[in-house]
Amino acid sequence: MPDWNEFVRHQLVGIELNQGEMADVVEELAGHLEEAFRNLRCQGITEQEAVQRALQEVRSWQELRVSIESSRGREPFMNKRVSQFWFPAFLTLFLSQVALMVVQEFGPRNYLSPATSHPRMLPQTAVFAAWVAALPLIGALGAYLSGRAGGPAKLVFSAITFPVFPFLAFVVIGLPIAMLFDDHVARGLSFPLFLVTFSAWVVCPALALVAGGWFLRHFAKRSGRQNIAGN
Amino acid sequence: MIASGIKRGTAELAVLSVLENGSRHGYEIARRIEQQTNGSLGFTLAALYPMLYRLEMQKLIRGSWETGPNGRRRRCYRLTAEGKRKLSPLRKEWSRLFVALRKLAGVVNA
Repeated sequence: MPDWNEFVRHQLVGIELNQGEMADVVEELAGHLEEAFRNLRCQGITEQEAVQRALQEVRSWQELRVSIESSRGREPFMNKRVSQFWFPAFLTLFLSQVALMVVQEFGPRNYLSPATSHPRMLPQTAVFAAWVAALPLIGALGAYLSGRAGGPAKLVFSAITFPVFPFLAFVVIGLPIAMLFDDHVARGLSFPLFLVTFSAWVVCPALALVAGGWFLRHFAKRSGRQNIAGN
Repeated sequence: MIASGIKRGTAELAVLSVLENGSRHGYEIARRIEQQTNGSLGFTLAALYPMLYRLEMQKLIRGSWETGPNGRRRRCYRLTAEGKRKLSPLRKEWSRLFVALRKLAGVVNA
């Protein structure tokens, strides 16, 4: 009869358990295999065949190691929710803010001559347009990270649109509150201006981020299909 | 045999139900489920133990070492009070699902 303890211990090398837990798991799984083996032998099956059949209880020891670690509360460095949502979400938020600062600092505004353009609107529009143009790249990066971690489409697109939530909160909550407490804001903010603000800081950036994410996912799917076809 | 996707959802109910009648060790749980379902539900080692550990982490079952007739130590699991409390709503939930499926797809007559 095989040494089931030794066999299981060998298969579980590298599992993230402390020594006591490892010894318990090895003994328990080995006991299960041994019992399966004994029962098969009692049915008159040859030893070799019984070993083979007992081993069919585990298709992949690698998968079993991961399942046991996970079921015993050993999460990887980043758990699923962090790697699929929070990390890409905060990274895209951070990068979108950095992009906005960079565009404001070094973007087209500095190179536009006030004499040849609208004195107020054009430089701001140019800054805005440059920022929005950069967002698809950031959205694509977020989608790549979330998708690589196995995030479903819903989570991927939630993560990459995360940067617009602070703006959304400002427009939907901050502005009405400001209108209540500041007469200047209340007098200066008309409905069309509210719509323009909402479109400029929420809708357009969200669309730009989603466009980048969508393109990346579409491209990844296509190249995946080509790889399978190639194989 | 039932497809593994469907089986995965029923696993918790199956294990808790088997343990309702007393403590059992892993191999015994798997065999008992297989026998009571005429082989429709079967659990391999790879499917069973991660689930047992998860249920234990959730404090629905508790394992303790006992010595078997062949002198080998084996870990026996029993339902905790929390596990017993969970079993009844879980049964009702599955029962509702089967009623809904019956209405939707005529599962019983399939």
